[in-house]
Amino acid sequence: MSDKVVTLSEAVGLVEPGDTIALGGMTLYRRPVAFARELIRSRVKDLTLLALTAGYESDLLVGAGSVRRVRTCYFGLEIFGLAPMFTKKARDLEIIEETEVSLALGLRAALSGIGFQPARAWQGTDLLKVRPDVKTISCPYTGERYVAFPAIKPDVAVIHVQESDCQGTAILKGNLALDREMALAAKQTIITTERLVEEVEGQIATFPSRVDAVVLAPKGAYPTSCYPYYRLASQEVLDYVDACSRGEFEEYLARFLDGGEVGER
Amino acid sequence: MGVRLGSADRFTIDELIVTCISRQAKNSDLMAQGIATPLVVAGYILAKLTHAPDLIFAVAIGGCITNSWAPLSISRAEEANLERPLYIFSFDEAAGTLMFTIQPKEFFRPAQVDPRGDFNNVVLGDYYAPKLRLPGCGGIADVTNYSPRVYLYVPRHSRAVFVERLDFVSGVGVLEEEERKELSILSPGPRYLVTNLGTFDFEGGRMRLLSYHPGVRVERIQKKTGFPLAMAPDLHETPPPSAEEVMLLREEIDPLGIRELERLSGGRRRAKLREIIEREAEGF
Repeated sequence: MSDKVVTLSEAVGLVEPGDTIALGGMTLYRRPVAFARELIRSRVKDLTLLALTAGYESDLLVGAGSVRRVRTCYFGLEIFGLAPMFTKKARDLEIIEETEVSLALGLRAALSGIGFQPARAWQGTDLLKVRPDVKTISCPYTGERYVAFPAIKPDVAVIHVQESDCQGTAILKGNLALDREMALAAKQTIITTERLVEEVEGQIATFPSRVDAVVLAPKGAYPTSCYPYYRLASQEVLDYVDACSRGEFEEYLARFLDGGEVGER
Repeated sequence: MGVRLGSADRFTIDELIVTCISRQAKNSDLMAQGIATPLVVAGYILAKLTHAPDLIFAVAIGGCITNSWAPLSISRAEEANLERPLYIFSFDEAAGTLMFTIQPKEFFRPAQVDPRGDFNNVVLGDYYAPKLRLPGCGGIADVTNYSPRVYLYVPRHSRAVFVERLDFVSGVGVLEEEERKELSILSPGPRYLVTNLGTFDFEGGRMRLLSYHPGVRVERIQKKTGFPLAMAPDLHETPPPSAEEVMLLREEIDPLGIRELERLSGGRRRAKLREIIEREAEGF
């Protein structure tokens, strides 16, 4: 077979300890939850988690001890409140502060094959103090000071999509987040998909030459949404928050890893 | 929770905050919606249904620009936003080019605010040993470098929020001209702030009371603020919502009362959240 279709555990095998792993989607929308479950099972540790906004599956990864560093501009559960395990473990994690601009332009710099992208951002805030690696530059034309956001090159990107073919030509419906950019910038890209099709229809979001593995994962974003197939399973997210507030993260995690009650509705 | 004095029980404080947000939206505006901000979403929709029918929304949930609206929902927000999008954006586009050029008006909810309108959404306490790590500032540290349309709201006005000195600056306030120039900052700082006690601006680089809400005494607002407030020369009572505005909010825009979540905390908040989600599951 010349296609790239593999099992979830084979795809997780592409992730090495210490990797920067970029997860697609936004907070509670089209997150690669099935992949996160398999990643926790694999016991790969010391990961740097990169996300535009980190939510449900990111909190489980942090709680399970898979993550050492976090790079995101928001880590929370939106209307459901703070992400409980991120909040609890914040002191032990290495947090690399990001914003929408630093993430978007960092990826753009990587995609342009250059070391940085300048922007009018972050000045007058404390972000530059806690990110001493981020420098400012002087515009050669106007003399204005800009912040030079360093290129971001993830080791692995994992994007959950609505439809993909066997080579990783995939489409996205709405909620593009930074998924197309992550998939192009990463050294290896894994697609998990609701449906495997002969041929996708519409504007494509990923290029097969830049995809390494494709995994069929129906309901692979549950309990986060996969528009238009299923909506955010609010009840499940609330159950997670409630379990954590009772101090029962480990019990919840065990259920989550069983994949029985959780993720199979 | 009704407001005391003449207006007893005709509107709640949530509804007054929503109405104040609504009044800041002008008909031709493009309004940006962040995440977990139901008071703001309700305010925008209220404006669209009353004085600003041409309002357009840039929404984070779903990642699109739309001119349609649906009643507030937790589980269905994404599909409602994506039902009839005018434009679907990536965050490469949003953060890289679009937000700077279309410059939407946006209401942010800070965890801390200082006298000149700098604000914090990153951490409480020492950065390296935090009392409470907050979710993060999203795009606030970006937008406050250039946008002339930064607006703030604080559902629970207290001395813990309004502090002389922030634990961490992640949003830029009103700077001296010289400092702005040196930092290449174009934004004039936040234009407006509404809390559960009153409305404010930062004219002259200092937080200034514009109006006190019905039943709220100026002394109480000052007491709940951790630094001296300036007073607007035409300081007045905040005009209450009209009967029509209250009816629209309760019956059309937010029948489930999702807006109330922003004023609750702890167990009461969790109970309300569960009630809303159960009603949504029943098809509301």
